[in-house]
Amino acid sequence: MAIFYKNFRLQIRNLGPIILLYFLSITEINTQFNEPFEIISFNLQLIIVYYWMLKDPSVLGSSHIFFAGLINDIIIGLPMCTSSICYLTVSFVASYIRTVTVTQSLISDWFTFLIAIFFSNLIYLILINNFSDFEIIYVSLFYNSFFTFLIYPLFWVVFNQYRAIMMYKKNE
Amino acid sequence: MSASREDFGIAIRSALLQRGARQKFSLFFLLCISILIFFLDTIQIKPMNTVRTLLNDGIYRFSSVVSSPFKFFSYLSSKSKKHMLTYKENIILKKELEVLKSKNLNVDFLKNENIKLREILNSQESDNLKYEIGKVILDKDSPYLHSIIINKGSRSSITKGMPVIENNNLVGVVIEVNYLSSRVLLLNDLNSRIPVVISPLSAQAILRGTGKEEPILDYLPEFFVAPEEGIVFTSGKDGVFASGIPIGKIFYEDDQIKVKLFSDPNQLSFINVILDISKERQ
Repeated sequence: MAIFYKNFRLQIRNLGPIILLYFLSITEINTQFNEPFEIISFNLQLIIVYYWMLKDPSVLGSSHIFFAGLINDIIIGLPMCTSSICYLTVSFVASYIRTVTVTQSLISDWFTFLIAIFFSNLIYLILINNFSDFEIIYVSLFYNSFFTFLIYPLFWVVFNQYRAIMMYKKNE
Repeated sequence: MSASREDFGIAIRSALLQRGARQKFSLFFLLCISILIFFLDTIQIKPMNTVRTLLNDGIYRFSSVVSSPFKFFSYLSSKSKKHMLTYKENIILKKELEVLKSKNLNVDFLKNENIKLREILNSQESDNLKYEIGKVILDKDSPYLHSIIINKGSRSSITKGMPVIENNNLVGVVIEVNYLSSRVLLLNDLNSRIPVVISPLSAQAILRGTGKEEPILDYLPEFFVAPEEGIVFTSGKDGVFASGIPIGKIFYEDDQIKVKLFSDPNQLSFINVILDISKERQ
């Protein structure tokens, strides 16, 4: 019973990032701070996808990223799979960086994240501008990307701590 | 040079096609599937619409259940805030009540006069609109889109383009209809355009959402000076909205004529969908 309980806790802990990703996609919770700062908003999903695909892709499977994006599109009202394509692009950049880099640090992760955001937004703009009737507020998109980039180190530290706990409990 | 190009190709291939121990599909496969679904969704074919409707209904309901604890907490916090401000509000309301009482006599007089004039003109009352009451089940703010999900859909005779009101004030228009739910585009969304009339000058304009809290007025007459605190109503010129639905009050900000909406788009919980006008149109 104790072993089962321990394994169960370990499983839940390993599922943390996936649960958080789905949770952010499906609930009303948003990371847009209308009060008191209208311009501050960031895309936490992009940070989760990038960090975990870079550090440990086995934690966050590509299929889960695909489904989280699909759910996010349905809730927000975007054409289906727009977010999925953006998240998968970020995953692709993260996988590429993971393949070509030998040592990773906060600074290298942070600046490569900028490339991931750039490609993700580029694809988002191409899809929305050419294949849907939606209008985009470019300034909001810029601010969103800027603050997503700016806040990455904070989540890098938090997720690093979480990963350390995961590893420690796994080796225990 | 060619070796570095080869390395680049290998790294790209590895990133796209590699599968981990727990991953069933490669990134490349999922990207292809996503692009396929995206294009099938944008070309609006019937089987895809049915799939989308079913997915929407299911996910909206599930999301509503998952979000309910957070809704409860925000409800509690707003209630407690209101409770703290009750004393001040009571004093203001008492003053407003006195003003309204005096105005009410004037309204009664105008009402009677209106009835008599209608009798003379042989015109009938136009206020015979049918409503469908709906509950807001989801209100996820995105940096780019401002819309809400309500718990009424095609089962309740709701169709695309129907106006949505709250306390007789316009809040938006239905843009997506599923069997059990619908999406309402709010007036402050960037994609929202409503023909309006400004009272008391009867000037026509277009109310355009900006993606921020307050929409602005466009296509006003040349050299038009909008009255501060003038009221904006629907003009009904597009044939979608009934005329005379109140929208908001005019104010000036950053050299733009903005409209402070009577119904706060962030505080919607129950709304009415006007059914009749669109039916007549069909």
